[in-house]
Amino acid sequence: MSILISKNTKVLVQGITGKEGQKGAKAMLDYGTNVLCGVTPKKGGQEVEGKPVFDTVKEAMAVILSEAKDPLTFGEMDSSTPARASAQNDKLSDVVSVIYVPPFAAKAAILEAIENDIALINVFVERIPIKDTAYCLAAAKEKNIRILGPSSLGAINPGVGRIGVIGGPLVNDIFKPGSIGVISRSGGMTNELSWQLSKNGLGQSAAVHVGGDLLMGTTYADVLKLYEKDEQTKAVIIFGEHGGSYEFEIVELIKNKEFTKPLAIYIGGKFAQMLPEGMNIGHAGAIVARGQGAAEKEAALKEVGVMIAERYEDLVELVKLHA
Amino acid sequence: MNLYEFEGKKLFAKHGIATPKGAVVKRGDNFMDAYNSLGVTDVVVKAQVLSGKRGKNNGIKFCSSIQEVVMACAELFDMQIRGQYVSALLIEEKLNIAEEHYFSITYDTNKKQPVIIYSSEGGMDIEDVAEEQIEKKFLDVRQSVILSEAKNLGGQLDPSAVPQDDIKNKLWSCFLAEDTRVVEINPLVKTTDGRWVAADAKVAIDDDAFYRHEEWKELEPRTMMGRLPTDREIAAKKIDEGEAYYRGTAGKYIELDGDIAMILNGGGASIANMDALAGAGLKPSNYTEYSGNPPREKVYQLAKVVLSKPGLKGLWMCGVVANFTNIKETFMGIVDALDEIKPAYPIVVRRDGTESAEGFALLEECVKRNNLNIKMFKKETGMSETAQVLAEMIRDSSVITRSEERATS
Repeated sequence: MSILISKNTKVLVQGITGKEGQKGAKAMLDYGTNVLCGVTPKKGGQEVEGKPVFDTVKEAMAVILSEAKDPLTFGEMDSSTPARASAQNDKLSDVVSVIYVPPFAAKAAILEAIENDIALINVFVERIPIKDTAYCLAAAKEKNIRILGPSSLGAINPGVGRIGVIGGPLVNDIFKPGSIGVISRSGGMTNELSWQLSKNGLGQSAAVHVGGDLLMGTTYADVLKLYEKDEQTKAVIIFGEHGGSYEFEIVELIKNKEFTKPLAIYIGGKFAQMLPEGMNIGHAGAIVARGQGAAEKEAALKEVGVMIAERYEDLVELVKLHA
Repeated sequence: MNLYEFEGKKLFAKHGIATPKGAVVKRGDNFMDAYNSLGVTDVVVKAQVLSGKRGKNNGIKFCSSIQEVVMACAELFDMQIRGQYVSALLIEEKLNIAEEHYFSITYDTNKKQPVIIYSSEGGMDIEDVAEEQIEKKFLDVRQSVILSEAKNLGGQLDPSAVPQDDIKNKLWSCFLAEDTRVVEINPLVKTTDGRWVAADAKVAIDDDAFYRHEEWKELEPRTMMGRLPTDREIAAKKIDEGEAYYRGTAGKYIELDGDIAMILNGGGASIANMDALAGAGLKPSNYTEYSGNPPREKVYQLAKVVLSKPGLKGLWMCGVVANFTNIKETFMGIVDALDEIKPAYPIVVRRDGTESAEGFALLEECVKRNNLNIKMFKKETGMSETAQVLAEMIRDSSVITRSEERATS
């Protein structure tokens, strides 16, 4: 089993003709992930990494839908019937759009993906104004569409596939299939923690970079729910941080028995708590706030049985027995 | 970025929220002229700081004469309010208060949407107000108007609720149009003659929306570190401005009291590594990180800022195994700065990722050219371990220096 990504995952890259978009497409293809095509307005007709580029997501959908493998239901019914619509949605449930555009173009790109019912949207873009993020999250929620990010480098299921550039070119050194789920606010730490697991003979069921913004499309709690259902995952490690209230959602989740597997967490930023309240340091979402510091979060999580790592290097030791 | 009260009030006024008549003074301004310009006797002199509980910390003085105003100004400019530097003062007409209310809008991270908070118990910290006295309503960021529940119900309309509805919508339009993260009026005063006036303003703008707010260029540089921003901080911030601002981040530099120069990578790992440095018994001279694959030039600018601080005893360049930042490209920027500054103190580097072999080769050549005291590590060595290595190198080099001193004396 796996979370977020499967062998059937089909990827569309928005902003594929840009420097980072091109790199992203290549990273996914190199890891054996099925990138179908890309979109860049006014660049339709070009090719990147041998994949066609379209002007709009709508045009790209023709290619994406033609890849859908269920000819029995597809194309036989009137598209206005609910049956056809849901058959189409089932096919789209494997479709992921990964977005690499400048921050000022992000809102339009995300809304375009939402409009076309893409099931999972990975927003790589950093420094999107929070108002634009809130707008997109509201639109996605209405359609039950999952957004991973913003500022997310993506997710990987070792040996299955990756969305985004997670792991970079050293991906095969860093990631090994295994039983530990990884969640991180930091892209770099996603690698660092996964590398430590692999170095110690453990592997990852998946690693998810949820991004460091104040508003997150997919939270720790959302990913933990997926890990709970995933048989391959025996335990989870999290790299959290000061600021924001997302760690407290984990407490609720455990109290409600929605997550029951062993969990170890490191919360960075003891240093940051020495800074004035309201100061922003590190990620956009990491704002110094009394009551939301590393110490308070650790105390609340400890109470519901979460293992707390003093140093991020200790996370591996804490979950070793549960692998 | 947090705004000063007087800047927040300008935004309120722009959106039709009444604010008291007032004048801003800086150090060296003529306080008497400012007072006289208001044409009222009773005034409030308020310290302009970026955060903190100003009222409780004597940051507000009531005055009724020129002499009192001049004295209050001198006193306030001499103060720090909860560690915050007083950059300016706001002299305002004193309001005759009948009621004090509370209004704020901010993003709720749980619901991932804006929330408006209202209480008829304004004037104190909202955390101190009883839960049942607080009304919260979640807002859809896609709607430009907040509909009044009273009006929706259609029937009995409480006339006293109407001005609040009006102010609520003005605050909402300010929140949206000005790209803020927080707007707070506390207190929202109802005067004895029935006017509704924002007696205070707490506003934080969203730095990431700067490209659609030309007017933000006029805001003076600031820091929350309880002092004026240093030249190095101002220079670093400029690195990420300009057209390709989103191509990597390399403008983060906060000056601290220690003597270890820090060049870190990534928002998450960097904060964790600040903790790791403290764990090795060392003190950072700054907080700095770059991430998101910035070009050579940006990294060079940033490294120069970091290494220009006097009195450094060591440099720790520590980063994760990069996902997409190119090690060769970014190390070229570092090498440019090292070639120029040629530090004599110990340096520890830990990094890995795309083209790291090429990056480290360039760095080695630079080390030979400049005879640097450096140790370099890749992913096989954990990040925190390398902080310990730096601590040992600094200890060793100070032993050498001391014995050299003995030898020459």
